[in-house]
Amino acid sequence: MAAATQSLLQRRIAAWFLKRQGPDRLPIELRRRRLYILPTRAGAGFAVMVFAMLIAALNYGNSMALLLTCLLTGFGLVAMHQCHRNMVGLRLLSASTQSAFAGEHGTVSLVLANESPLPRYRLQIDTQGAEPAACDLPPRSTCQLELQVAAPARGLVRIERLRISTMHPFGLFRAWSWVHAPIAFVVFPRPRGTRPVPVHLGGGDGQAREPGAQKDEWLGLRPFREGDSPRQIAWKAYARGAPLLSKEYAASGAQQRVFDFGQLEDLQTEARLEQLARWVVDAEARGESYALILPGTQLSPEHGPEHRRRSLTALALHGIVPSPGSP
Amino acid sequence: MSASSSPDRSQGRAGALSPQQDLRALLWCAGAFLAAVLLHVGRIPLWASATAALCAAWTVAIALRRMRAPGRILKGALALVLVAAVIAVFHTLNGLAAGTTLLAGMGSFKLLEASARRDRYIVIGTALFLLLAACLSEQGLLYAPLYAAHAWLCCWALAIVTHPESTLGNRAAGLLALRSLALALPLTVLGFLFFPRIAGSFWAFPSGGATTGLSDTMSPGAISDLSESLAPAFRVWFDGSPPPPAERYWRGPVLHHFDGFTWSRPPFHGSSFGGESVPLGRAYRYRITLEPSSQHWWFALDTVDGSPSTAVRLTTDHVLVSERAVTEPVTYAAVSHTSVRAAGSLPFAARHLDLDPGPSDRNTRAYALARRLRSQAPSDGAFVGAVLGFFRGGGFEYTLTPPQLGADSIDDFLFSTRRGFCGHYASAFVMLMRAGGVPARVVTGYLGGEWNPIGHYLLVRESDAHAWAEVWLEGHGWTRVDPTAVVAPERLTRGIVDFLPDATSAPERLLLRVPWLVSARQGWDAANAWWTNRVIGFSLNNQLSILHRLGFAAPRTRELIWMLACGIGGWLAVTTWQFGLPRSARPDRLARAYRRLCSKLARAGAPRALYQGPLAYTEAIARRRPELAAAAAPLLAAYAELRYGAISEETSAKARASRVADFERRVRALKPAARRARASR
Repeated sequence: MAAATQSLLQRRIAAWFLKRQGPDRLPIELRRRRLYILPTRAGAGFAVMVFAMLIAALNYGNSMALLLTCLLTGFGLVAMHQCHRNMVGLRLLSASTQSAFAGEHGTVSLVLANESPLPRYRLQIDTQGAEPAACDLPPRSTCQLELQVAAPARGLVRIERLRISTMHPFGLFRAWSWVHAPIAFVVFPRPRGTRPVPVHLGGGDGQAREPGAQKDEWLGLRPFREGDSPRQIAWKAYARGAPLLSKEYAASGAQQRVFDFGQLEDLQTEARLEQLARWVVDAEARGESYALILPGTQLSPEHGPEHRRRSLTALALHGIVPSPGSP
Repeated sequence: MSASSSPDRSQGRAGALSPQQDLRALLWCAGAFLAAVLLHVGRIPLWASATAALCAAWTVAIALRRMRAPGRILKGALALVLVAAVIAVFHTLNGLAAGTTLLAGMGSFKLLEASARRDRYIVIGTALFLLLAACLSEQGLLYAPLYAAHAWLCCWALAIVTHPESTLGNRAAGLLALRSLALALPLTVLGFLFFPRIAGSFWAFPSGGATTGLSDTMSPGAISDLSESLAPAFRVWFDGSPPPPAERYWRGPVLHHFDGFTWSRPPFHGSSFGGESVPLGRAYRYRITLEPSSQHWWFALDTVDGSPSTAVRLTTDHVLVSERAVTEPVTYAAVSHTSVRAAGSLPFAARHLDLDPGPSDRNTRAYALARRLRSQAPSDGAFVGAVLGFFRGGGFEYTLTPPQLGADSIDDFLFSTRRGFCGHYASAFVMLMRAGGVPARVVTGYLGGEWNPIGHYLLVRESDAHAWAEVWLEGHGWTRVDPTAVVAPERLTRGIVDFLPDATSAPERLLLRVPWLVSARQGWDAANAWWTNRVIGFSLNNQLSILHRLGFAAPRTRELIWMLACGIGGWLAVTTWQFGLPRSARPDRLARAYRRLCSKLARAGAPRALYQGPLAYTEAIARRRPELAAAAAPLLAAYAELRYGAISEETSAKARASRVADFERRVRALKPAARRARASR
């Protein structure tokens, strides 16, 4: 009950911050208006200590002790400024993500930039479900931080908000800023299942084919497309000064597989998606072309990392995003 | 701007520390703590310091995995042993020394388990508390830099303990801490000046300071060696000229009672010390800053006119007795006369008290001497002269290392040893006076003092301690007689260490003799005096007088709080502004020279548009102000070459710098003709 109240409160507070600052579009600069600073536990302890010292100094009417107390008070306030300064003007340039399978960790890569002539230290980024990451930024430099965000189930993980914070230099204060940027990554269904790979229109022996096998029928050259295997590239032509070209072969024996959501009607939806993911991953590993048929989505037979990503994304977002389309 | 390539150990996951980083934090933390314990060496028992050192070594050994961390039971046992040891040594846990020892011990044990950042913060906090304890026990000027250095060390350690994994190096962390403390200095001064001081205390520790200075008893026979301390007893600032050296008698406790061996001050007798007096001659106005002595005496020049404070009683024998022992430096103003006349006769009780020459069965030879001399003298005054004549002609010698005296100390001194210092002479003289029927008393205090030409004050040291006599002469009242001056007249005008150089150690003699060392020492003492007076002795009264000078007619504590609040507000505003300044880079030399060139050309009537680079600008000038082009074009071309040309990549930095300097010179030399009449527009 208490935990529920607390999380409700936290959500309300988070919503308040979002409302106050508005959503962000990268790159952003951390200006004063969006910087918050509060004493840490150590800072509160420091304050209590200085207060005790003040009482002792006044009690004894001891000037040296009073000088020390005043010095430490001033030091605490300067520490607050130092902490704030370590953050103000910092820029978050970009955020990129890497998808993951359910149960693994997705990666959020963030690039921080320090454009000022002074160094910044121990800038930490964290978000819910991830270990915080930290870096130091020399003057006029950037650094990339990677957050490993837990991906418990297939679908879309949205990073609601990021916190950039610092306790540098003396740990007495923590300055932080909330970033509400549209950052998300896709969590693919966990590849699982033991069903045999279905064979469709499959001529010949139906055996798995080695990628780039010699027997393939030479079709010609076509412009390089992202996702083409390095083996496919016509390196000789490239060496002669031609643009990057890929050699194209006809899939001899027409080893084509069609993975159909409808084939697995005896399984639950999630189990079906996991089985399909298994097939996609395996087919890709063998270099086979495959088509994917989901209710509302059809992907024509192809292979390569881009096709694999598209297929797995379609599986991940099945039933979650109304019309996944092609990403 | 380039993305940082290989992530070093400072980048990436926060929280986890490598063993080296962990050790770094631990060493700094232990260092700050050990330095705090070192501040107390001499005040806390040696075993406490040794415990701290051992625990620090143990901690490092644990971090290096050479030894195992102590278990909970061992730690509990250690803490109990510590408490028992402190009680055994100090018989209390209360009190500064006991508390400090306890804190040092507990901090040492905390260090053993300081594996998390939080524990290390606690150890650093303990170090800061030890620093506070040091401030409470010793406030000398000499210690101020030491304390400041330790505060710096603690802040330094705080930076490293917070983020030992940071790329912030040790030196950079030190500079950062130093800069932070320097920025805190204005606030320190403000707080010190305006934080309202409270009179009295919330609670009191039993004060453990050793008593120094004069006590309220004197037994010349028991002392065979006067302790020679060059420590200051008090300093005196005069309004106008100081009294001549022979008049610088600083009165302390007056001793009335004599038991044949020891002089003492009887318990308070109301007004029975008696003898009202009327001041004569010049009044001396002065201010005294008394060093702490843990005694109740306040000192004043010879006969003080009134008590300088409500907490101090002026007895009828003109002694200032404070209600509270002097444990902090105290400053007061007083008015004194060096000669007085009796306002009436001596009351009976006082006469009785000051006529008692001690038990009649002791010092019988001295009795006989006194009776003989009195019978020969026509008056009390002549008797005084006769006794002084006895001292002058009796073969007496002034020495700081007299032989010890027997039970009949006066007889022993007068007729056999004949060697002694002021205490012996005053004691024997007063005893003889009383035996001859003249009321007399022993006055202890200080004689003389060293004039400090830098601070314009008189420094009176413990070694200036002196004892003299006062006799009651009808019609004159209490009259000062210094029998020591008869034996050693130089003692009046020269300091005791000057007079008897063998009494001091060789380095002290050097300090007191070599001229430039003397002036250096006096400079240092003047600084100490300033510190004692203006910093340590800074009180509510000083605060109010500052406010008064600032223009408040009747300042009170409320105005102090206002000043403090305004001061802190101003400081915060300034620091916020200072820290908030945009952190833009200062343009380099080339850019500054280029900017100067552009503004010169603009003044000549050819301003550069924002979008124009140097080459486009050249073209624009050639088009619009052709007469300027001849002068401007080569400079702009040089700038383009320096800024964008291959030259910046290939030539050495030195060669480039000289080219930039050359460019600067040429820009400075450029004197474009001012814009012609507006008609041309």
